[in-house]
Amino acid sequence: MADIVTPPVSPNGRKRLDFDQIKKTVIDSQIWRSIFRGGVWKDTPRDRAAHIIGNVWLHLHPVKVRKRAIEWTYTWGLGGISFMLFLILTLTGVLLMFYYRPTIDLAYRDMKDLEFAVTLGKLMRNAHRWSAQAMVVFVILHMMRVFLTAAYKKPREFNWGVGVLLLTFTLFLSFTGYLLPWDQLAIWAVTVGTNMAGASPFLGNEGPFGSLMGMRINNDIRFTLLGGTTVGENTLLRFYVLHCVAVPLLVGVLLILHFWRIRKDSFSAAPRDPNEEKVEVWPNLIVREYMAAAGCVLVILLWSVLQNAPLEVVANPNVTPNPSKAPWYFVGLQELLVYFDPWIAGVVIPTVIIIGLMAIPYLDEDPRGVGYYSIRERPFANTLFLLGIAMWFILIFIGYFCRGPNYQWYWPWESWLKVKAPPPPTWSLPMWAGGLLLLAYFGLGLVAPKLIQKDINWKKAFLWCGAALTGFSLICLFQGITWDRLPWLYFFGFAYFLFGFLVPQRYIRTLSWTRYIVTMSLVLMMMGVLLKMGLRLGFDIKYVFTLPQFSLNI
Amino acid sequence: MSEPTTPTSQPIPVPASKSVPANAAMTRRNFLWLGWSALVVFFTASAAATARFFFPNVIYEPSQKFNAGPAKDYPMGVSLKWQNEQRVWIERNEKGFTVFWARCTHLGCTPNWFADQNRFRCPCHGSNFNIEGDVIAGPAPKPLYRCAVEIASTGDLIIDKAILENRPGFRDKSPFFAQYQATV
Amino acid sequence: MSLRKLFNFFNLSILLVFLIAFWIDYHREWKIYQRAYYQKTADSLGKKLATLSDPEQKKALKTQIKFWRKHPLEIKQIIAKDLGRVDRCITCHVAMDEFTNPSLTSDIPENPYKAHPDLAVLVKNHPLQKYGCTTCHAGQGLSTTLEEAHYKVTEGHTVVWEEPILKQPYIQASCAKCHADFEKLRGAEMAALGKDLFQKHGCIGCHQLKGVGGVISVDLGDIADKPLARIAPHNFEEAGVPHDKYSVQSWIEAHLTKDPMDFVSNDPLGKFNAEPIAPSGMPPYYKELKEKEAKALTTYLLSLSNKSIPKDYYVYASPKPEPNFNNAVEHGKYVFNKYGCQGCHGMDAKLGRRNFNALGPGQDSSKPWEIEEMAKGQEPTLVDVVGTYTRGELKKKIQDGVPASSLAKFNPDGPIPPLYMPSWREKIKGQELEDLVSYLLSIAKKQESW
Repeated sequence: MADIVTPPVSPNGRKRLDFDQIKKTVIDSQIWRSIFRGGVWKDTPRDRAAHIIGNVWLHLHPVKVRKRAIEWTYTWGLGGISFMLFLILTLTGVLLMFYYRPTIDLAYRDMKDLEFAVTLGKLMRNAHRWSAQAMVVFVILHMMRVFLTAAYKKPREFNWGVGVLLLTFTLFLSFTGYLLPWDQLAIWAVTVGTNMAGASPFLGNEGPFGSLMGMRINNDIRFTLLGGTTVGENTLLRFYVLHCVAVPLLVGVLLILHFWRIRKDSFSAAPRDPNEEKVEVWPNLIVREYMAAAGCVLVILLWSVLQNAPLEVVANPNVTPNPSKAPWYFVGLQELLVYFDPWIAGVVIPTVIIIGLMAIPYLDEDPRGVGYYSIRERPFANTLFLLGIAMWFILIFIGYFCRGPNYQWYWPWESWLKVKAPPPPTWSLPMWAGGLLLLAYFGLGLVAPKLIQKDINWKKAFLWCGAALTGFSLICLFQGITWDRLPWLYFFGFAYFLFGFLVPQRYIRTLSWTRYIVTMSLVLMMMGVLLKMGLRLGFDIKYVFTLPQFSLNI
Repeated sequence: MSEPTTPTSQPIPVPASKSVPANAAMTRRNFLWLGWSALVVFFTASAAATARFFFPNVIYEPSQKFNAGPAKDYPMGVSLKWQNEQRVWIERNEKGFTVFWARCTHLGCTPNWFADQNRFRCPCHGSNFNIEGDVIAGPAPKPLYRCAVEIASTGDLIIDKAILENRPGFRDKSPFFAQYQATV
Repeated sequence: MSLRKLFNFFNLSILLVFLIAFWIDYHREWKIYQRAYYQKTADSLGKKLATLSDPEQKKALKTQIKFWRKHPLEIKQIIAKDLGRVDRCITCHVAMDEFTNPSLTSDIPENPYKAHPDLAVLVKNHPLQKYGCTTCHAGQGLSTTLEEAHYKVTEGHTVVWEEPILKQPYIQASCAKCHADFEKLRGAEMAALGKDLFQKHGCIGCHQLKGVGGVISVDLGDIADKPLARIAPHNFEEAGVPHDKYSVQSWIEAHLTKDPMDFVSNDPLGKFNAEPIAPSGMPPYYKELKEKEAKALTTYLLSLSNKSIPKDYYVYASPKPEPNFNNAVEHGKYVFNKYGCQGCHGMDAKLGRRNFNALGPGQDSSKPWEIEEMAKGQEPTLVDVVGTYTRGELKKKIQDGVPASSLAKFNPDGPIPPLYMPSWREKIKGQELEDLVSYLLSIAKKQESW
């Protein structure tokens, strides 16, 4: 390549180190060549392609990608960052395993050793902890990006499903890892989390039909998960194995599948027009991937230096901290326990969320919007999805920041040292009224938007809704319901009217009946959760519909 | 399962050029069926076995079931005999026995029994429970749990803390209530 | 920024942050202390060097100085296997490491370099390798920073360590944990005084010790093990305990130096609960106890634990024989004190304790919901009323007790008064009961006869 190499000579005549020459010698050596396939590097398009194809780590990339795909503002590198975090977690996790023994006598002591006696042990633990939490966030962000650019649509439906599974497993990995330090934070978060499993229908001892199936605390699904009746030695071992071996293996397999499908489904940024310009992956994409990964490592490292992972006193199964909360990404679910019977909040709702997410690509038959951000072309899909995500985080916010001792409502600025009067007594609707209300909500809510054929004038609709709410609030005032509760009514009333009626009415009534019914049911359930929160927080309604024989409390 | 194979079991004219016996196709198909079903059954069975595998047959926890001694030795009212050891209270009335799990449903402290006030009072956060275990004051969200109790043929009380109930209508019946009338 | 610049920036920053991390990891807090110890040791040898004249000795001392100056830094720990402790305290308190400093003496008077006090008794009888440090001193033996090892409070809502380091005189509780005969022990005087006061003030009348005693309040038999999570932070706040002092020790001491009525959870007006809950019935001992006495009592109570101690480490004491009395009244007085009757009835039965919402003298019945009025509730003074009973009535009263629900309330809708007379049928029997009644009747104020 460089035939005329003039050895650089410094002004005073001494020979300087020639880096280009060294690089050439190294690259052309037999050792280097045996490791990296391909002939002499000439930096031609062919070379760059060969670099991708001939490298086991890079060959999941195509040779060329559309120019839009490498723009930061398209993918934001979110998937890549999630994967990088997974790699950091694997690395730090393996290192931590060298100093950690999963028994209740030793686990906590080993955490102390990591903190005080192991070189860089504290940094490893911090990095592991913060990466895990960051990964939960980034996987969710990645999912949002994919949704907003409609990248789940044909032919990527299946890969979206794999992605949802990966999200679930990310949460599960975080959850199983939460127990391992064996401090008070760990066992009580896990106790709260696993108690929900005890409320599963049929399989849990506290769930509906549980006792019918002969479920007790020592033979139900929670018992299987814990390997005992309480969080103990077996639980620690089980969670350790799940956390370190079983789930990572599963995630690895799913990741391979995920990447392979990305590659086969023509990589990211689906074409807007067939003749779009393409650029070479090496170096254009690879260098950006490197940037994202490096940035990610930098932030995690910095964060781990500045902020220590929490470690409280050693676990004591006899002493419950007040309040005891699940890990933050599950606090949303815990908060739902306030509004619904445990098996609905802890089992039905998560299942519906996971299945609902996986079903999205099969429900959305609108071909528009693939490969670019467009709220205008897909207002229904985008707003509803974002509303769902927002609700999840609002629930987390409430559970994490607004709940104090005895899980009572404390505003974030209020001191927990102040004793609060218990909340006013709650009441439930009579069964017939609740049943009618539920029937009307789901029956009318399902059918009405589809049947109204004429497009509704939004301005008028809002006026009507406002008038109705004002009228209702006047009635409320006369019934002795105080002013401070009315904002709830307005907020939830409007939210339902907009997202549960107007938006579906306008945008999805053209769907086929099957798709329409399934979509609408999901929308109504989501809005229902919101409405129920409003009823509880604003009007102290414990349950709208209750059938105690089956623990069916909604 | 044999349905799909039935048509083939009838004699089908086979081209004479093939030297295979007439029922060979049938046997092969049958065999295939058998093979596939064996595989499916194997997978189902191993899945079930794996699920079963995750239920420990022995656990190193104190037994949930214990013998609380002869029923006739218990006086009327609430006995605190097993409070420290097994964390239960045994209540006897004219009709029989009820056993409460001595764990406040609020934060798991152990309440105390106040006979003069006929109530359990939790020292931690002031929850009060009446003799039915229902909350009459304080922050506890649920009534006290009752344990399953039976009177063995020997006349001993056998208490199982694994089986708990606190819903009215369920908790007053067997196995959470053991009928017992003192024989004079 | 171009990608190349970004590339350089990221790589450099990662290296930098990693180096910082390593630097922080390398410069652990304990190293500062340990290095300072070695330097101080070398310095004091250096002073000695100036006084020496013999070149042989000088040379030997110089080698020694060099040895200390170049002493490698390491985490030192004691593994006390029987007691299940791993203590790294000697990492900083190097003078107490018998391998670095076999004499265990130190010229440096300040912490953490000073020597253990009273080596001849304390350390000789409790070999460090066998007992570790936290067995007596409490604290977190595995930690190697000052804050984490001694005490720690999170900035949030909970206190982190259950066992903050014990200082004098509270550390005497550790003596009393194993030495059942600690009253005779030199150095455990405060614990002994505490035990004495516990008996003298009749604490046992309301508080049981492992099942022995009155049942009005909690059993104190394992009070030292009380988990902090069982004490609501707002109770500490109301007791005026500063945030970094939340511990069982300060909780106990608050009961003795402040009025428990002010800070133990209560709800006399029924604001937070379905029905009113009276404040603590504990008498205001802060009026009777001196500061030293409160400390002594706290020390004694901190020794009451249920944690098992290996048999070999326990020092038994023979139980005190019951004193003999040939006078029924004197024996009765002994019984009165033995069962803690004076806890509620006062020394020599001369004091009627306050009892929230009980009907007492001087209450303004027009203000039934005033907390101050309800707080004026009082028990009758025993010496005044005992004369109105016959011997049989008195006996029956002691045996049956007076249930709280049958006490006359000042405010009928207010809380049930916290103090009441428990039934002593199972506890005070036979001669003890007879003599107790004799004693009570002997001190009764004579009724005016008209």
